[in-house]
Amino acid sequence: MIRKAAIAGLGAVLAVLAGASFHRGRHLAEPLVAGPGVARVATLGDYFAPLKGGVNDAHVYILEGQAPGGTVLLLGGTHPEEPAGRLAAWIFAERAELGQGRLLVVPTANRSASTVTRLGGAYPPDFTVPTAWGGQKFRMGDRWSNPLDQWPDPEVYLHYPSRQQLAYVDIRNLNRAFPGRPGGTLTERTCYAIMELVRREKVDIAIDFHEAELQYPVISAIVAHERGADLAAAASMFTSSFEGFSIGVENSPKALRGLSHREIGDASGAISLLLEAPEPFLDATRGRTDRALLLTGRDEFVVRAGRRGLLFEKIDENGWPIDVRVGRHTSTVLQILENWTADRPDRGVVVAGVPRYAEVVEKGVGAFLTDPKTAPPGRLFRE
Amino acid sequence: MSATASATMILAVMVAAFVAAKLLKVSTELALFAAALAGALAGGQGVAPRHLVEGAFTYFDIVLIFVTATLFMNLFKESGAAAFVVRAILRRFHRRKAPLFVLLALLLLVPGALTGAGSVTVLIMGGMAATVLRTMAIPGPRVAAIVFIIAGLSAAAPPVNLWAMLTAAGVNMPYVGFFLPLLVPCVVLALATIFILGAGAKPVDLAKALAELPEAPAGMNWLRVATPFLVFFLLVIAGRVFPFNLPVLGLPLMFAAAGAAALAVSPAKIAFFRVSRETVHQLLPLIGTLTCAGVLVQVMALTGVRGLIAITTVTLPVTAVFLTLFLTLPVSEAVLMWGAAPVLGVPLVLLFNTIGLDPVVALAGMSVIWPLGDAVPPTAIIGRLTAATVGMAEPYGKLLKASLVPAAIIAAAGTLMVVFSKKLALLTVF
Repeated sequence: MIRKAAIAGLGAVLAVLAGASFHRGRHLAEPLVAGPGVARVATLGDYFAPLKGGVNDAHVYILEGQAPGGTVLLLGGTHPEEPAGRLAAWIFAERAELGQGRLLVVPTANRSASTVTRLGGAYPPDFTVPTAWGGQKFRMGDRWSNPLDQWPDPEVYLHYPSRQQLAYVDIRNLNRAFPGRPGGTLTERTCYAIMELVRREKVDIAIDFHEAELQYPVISAIVAHERGADLAAAASMFTSSFEGFSIGVENSPKALRGLSHREIGDASGAISLLLEAPEPFLDATRGRTDRALLLTGRDEFVVRAGRRGLLFEKIDENGWPIDVRVGRHTSTVLQILENWTADRPDRGVVVAGVPRYAEVVEKGVGAFLTDPKTAPPGRLFRE
Repeated sequence: MSATASATMILAVMVAAFVAAKLLKVSTELALFAAALAGALAGGQGVAPRHLVEGAFTYFDIVLIFVTATLFMNLFKESGAAAFVVRAILRRFHRRKAPLFVLLALLLLVPGALTGAGSVTVLIMGGMAATVLRTMAIPGPRVAAIVFIIAGLSAAAPPVNLWAMLTAAGVNMPYVGFFLPLLVPCVVLALATIFILGAGAKPVDLAKALAELPEAPAGMNWLRVATPFLVFFLLVIAGRVFPFNLPVLGLPLMFAAAGAAALAVSPAKIAFFRVSRETVHQLLPLIGTLTCAGVLVQVMALTGVRGLIAITTVTLPVTAVFLTLFLTLPVSEAVLMWGAAPVLGVPLVLLFNTIGLDPVVALAGMSVIWPLGDAVPPTAIIGRLTAATVGMAEPYGKLLKASLVPAAIIAAAGTLMVVFSKKLALLTVF
């Protein structure tokens, strides 16, 4: 009896300590200071009322230029465990100034997924980007919506509307649930809200930021819907020539359903593109799982896998630092916008103030985040 | 210190903690927990409560499936439906050995296929199947071997295969396309097992067998037998046919509904709370193993040990991997039980995928071999449970000896499935 009580007591202590950590992670408020280009801030609930006030009522930062032009949507945090995408979106929301057109930035597309970490994956609950004022903390997040917000999973997930069979857990994967449906699960409703945003704001190009393990064949690439193939090819060519890194182009497969690069393009007039950057933290052969690996992308075991030819992207002892990954995203977007504007001046989107790859690598991501203590009244938001 | 040296040292500490716990007669699940805790401490993470608790929830959904499916099967047995089916089959086929063997093998496959646990097969059908087989003058160790081997295959049979589910989850692979790659070998190998070990069996002594089998309650009939399964499969089919019109129920609720149906149509009154208490008591060691395997996997990921095992496995010569599957899989099962799937299964599937094999068929082949380890010490849970349930009087070693021939065939079949997985990929249609 005493033994059982002692074990139960120890279990309770573990549960309380862990519960406190989970609670902190779920409720960590990340500051975002709306930059000079932000004309107003909406939420996904403004485009699909049932999301209003819920966990996935994500902020939509609307940046507007003086001159009329096109509209481009940037989605960060579709998979929050791929933090370079969120950080790139952060930089656009805090730094971008628009000369022409509009930019819609959603830094945390699946907020629910940003409040949980991978069971069995040993992810850190958060990570800190070094800044001049000491550092800014972000939630780590997972690939799938939090089971606290959407559960249970079905025995097999049938994608709407194609009815394609997908892994049961992917019913909580935002990038397997597009175009979504109004009466569906939280994840499907979030996708539907994003589609409503695309349709109502007449988005010309939707760009979804991602990262991938080096064992995944689609990496360091722009995945393009067929209507965006030429734009992606041009952006890839200019990026590889002028930005200091190479990025390929992959065609969005028509047979693989639910992904943003396929469904946003099919269900709207927008060109849909998805950007992949390399993230060794996601590799199954990774060593110690910690914040350092997330931020430096340096891992001895992944390097060994690369030497044996098991990877689809190169890696050496320098790893893939977060600055490199974020810089790839910002430069690729800028190249896409510049090529688009050159082709379609009437629908152009002209952006200034956003650092390119070389600058991000040189100064670090933290140099382009804004100290929340300096935020003017009404410009500080919590993601 | 290099990552390799650090992870090797932590792995050594974890192995030492596990062995020490087993030497102290600690249960497997607590030995796994001790290994995880030692790993966290050796890795400089302290007690790491967040990781211990988060890891414990890794297989929470699978635990729920396990509990509700076993409750369903126990209610089914308690209603007398299982005894009714066995008695009916016996009356109809007692003079015809071949169809009787086929039907007994299929009956033995059902409980484990639905629950993912061979122990459920042993507990639900093992005793009754053994009664029938003994009246056919099959020696005790062979009877036990038939029940043990087919119970293992039932755990591997679809729709619920925990090794495949755990491994697939570890490599972000959908648990889709496994039905035929698991069903075909499990059925064929189960039939091969019962015909090989049952060779020389005499016709059933019907009167003796019926006297030894439990009575079916008055009022039991085929409709009452079929109703719970109809409820389960109707819910599965409805979810697939009308996925956008029905709420997501999940497998645990479907099994619970099937259990409720078994309770409702039972002609005999069932003491539900007693059965549910017994079910949880029966499953506690297995739930504990799944929970602690999750903790272990989380700590291995945290400390880099998982990466060390993964990178070592994926860089081994492939031929050596193929030729040792018959040994590594059962041994890992004997030590870690289902924990073997995320620890060893994940890197193996990554390796097979990288060299161009079909990961679904390869994993199905591995899943057929894994349960053989359930008769091997240090755990040997299913083997010993079988010996006890079928009332084998001979020493436990006789069960192992009787299992050798079918086990060798199963290991060979599973290995060939891995090697020729690409050619067998046509099986992965659903």
